[in-house]
Amino acid sequence: MSPRLSETLRYILLVSIAVILLTPIYWLIMSSLRPADHIFRFSGNFSIETLIPFAFTLDNYSQALQSNVGRALLNSLFVSLTTVICGVFVNSLAGFAFAVFDFRFKKLLFVLILLSFMMPFESIVIPLYTLMRTIGWTDTYAALIMPEVAGGLIIFLFYQFFRGIPREIYEAARMDGANWWQIYYKMTMPLSGPTIATASLMIFIHQWDAFFWPLVATSSERLAVIQVAIARNMTMEQANWGAFFASASLAVLVAMVPFFWLQRHYVKIVITNADR
Amino acid sequence: MFRHPWAPYAFIAPAFLGLFVFRFIPIGLSGFGSVFSENLRGDMVFVGLKNYAELMEDPSFWNTMRVTLIFNLIINPFQICCALALAMLVRRPSRFIDVFRLGFIMPMTVSIALTSIIWSILLDPTLGPVNGLLRWAGFQSQPFFRSEHQALQTLMLVATWKGAGYWMIFLLSGLLAIPKEIDDSALIDGATGIRKFISITLPLMKRPLAFVLVADTAANFLLFAPVYIITNGGPNGATQLLMFEAYQAAFAYINHGRSMAISTIILGVVLVIAMFELRLFKPAGEDQS
Repeated sequence: MSPRLSETLRYILLVSIAVILLTPIYWLIMSSLRPADHIFRFSGNFSIETLIPFAFTLDNYSQALQSNVGRALLNSLFVSLTTVICGVFVNSLAGFAFAVFDFRFKKLLFVLILLSFMMPFESIVIPLYTLMRTIGWTDTYAALIMPEVAGGLIIFLFYQFFRGIPREIYEAARMDGANWWQIYYKMTMPLSGPTIATASLMIFIHQWDAFFWPLVATSSERLAVIQVAIARNMTMEQANWGAFFASASLAVLVAMVPFFWLQRHYVKIVITNADR
Repeated sequence: MFRHPWAPYAFIAPAFLGLFVFRFIPIGLSGFGSVFSENLRGDMVFVGLKNYAELMEDPSFWNTMRVTLIFNLIINPFQICCALALAMLVRRPSRFIDVFRLGFIMPMTVSIALTSIIWSILLDPTLGPVNGLLRWAGFQSQPFFRSEHQALQTLMLVATWKGAGYWMIFLLSGLLAIPKEIDDSALIDGATGIRKFISITLPLMKRPLAFVLVADTAANFLLFAPVYIITNGGPNGATQLLMFEAYQAAFAYINHGRSMAISTIILGVVLVIAMFELRLFKPAGEDQS
């Protein structure tokens, strides 16, 4: 195959895959801008109006934001961002210890960390719920945040990066009389921008995505996160479709922000993350 | 490596406190709870292995086991192949390649719950645009989630729609880390196309692939939201995955002992898989240090 031809073929593939992956998102957002009674009018019979709306409105959004969805979005943001901050701190500390120190039981503890990320979180949801009920944490923000702070995957990510920092740097700092805490937060962390960004993105998207645990752990409307609120509105109101498409679009658009924000570092982040 | 009498323990303490309380204690609780059962007065009484014995005799439980295993044996390799194909496609820098790289991970922004709702609408037999398109193009409408024979496959495709781009990132980073000289020398040796991919690229991708296999299995093994939202385990048990069964036992039938027994079995299965997977990480650990 000539290079020209194979390059054309590659772009044909790229475009068709992009169409498959992006059309549902386009359709979601486009439908949210239609008058509610138009949403399904053109969907079953394919025509140009299936893909391009001729009538626009923002009614669905004002309706969605007047309902519980506004609060649910804020709940999700609060839970996700708090988990990101705590998670980056707690997991980078542990990653640092494994990368820098030799200590007793290190191997065993490291295997426990690997096991904890091989174990799907869902597998402990029901016993975790029992535990939360025992300590009286059901229906609290803590129940949504705390279990997701420490995570084997994020510890592993930091560990991989910290290992790459030459030990001479630490020796020099020790000579200058710095203690280990100062070395961690004045030297190592400032060097770790891209890894911190990757970890933050992974924790954020994981928490933003969370459905099963919030569904089980919180029952009151006040604490509903966005994914749970949307699913509940679907079943309770016999589906107000306009409001559904608007609130789902909002949930997706908010989640896009960190991806676009980190886009410039995208490849760089990715390389530091798995090349070792 | 440095030594210090207490610093390393102080650094790992918060993380291990979290893992201990929110991972390891629940594991213990599930084993403990599985040997109790609620009697008619609502007291918990010790019943030994009765909950397990009941599960073993329950054909619907075996169906769940079977569906879960089939689901995982197909979806994980399939998703990784898709992710690898995507990564190979966007590997070489060229015009607009950043746009495609970003575009391919966009489904990540649609949560698993929303993915379920949106695709169940898209694939609806009468109102769904996908069937609208099929009819327009002269094909018959397909039942997708409504059919016993298509539901599980449809579930796999929908989960792959969401996941492939995410796993692509990790594989792409592995591909980009392959030194250019290796590629060039392969060309000089006359290795091109599929041969080059199998004999040169794949062996160098062992570690990223192992990582993705482990993480992907953990993500898919207990898929819950689509079953809860779209199919409710149906039609006729075709999508009855383990986690949904445990959820039903705990919250729909309020059978505490049974749900704990299912949880314990799930944990056992997961642990066995994890033990196999730990081997994948071993050679990696050795050549590193």
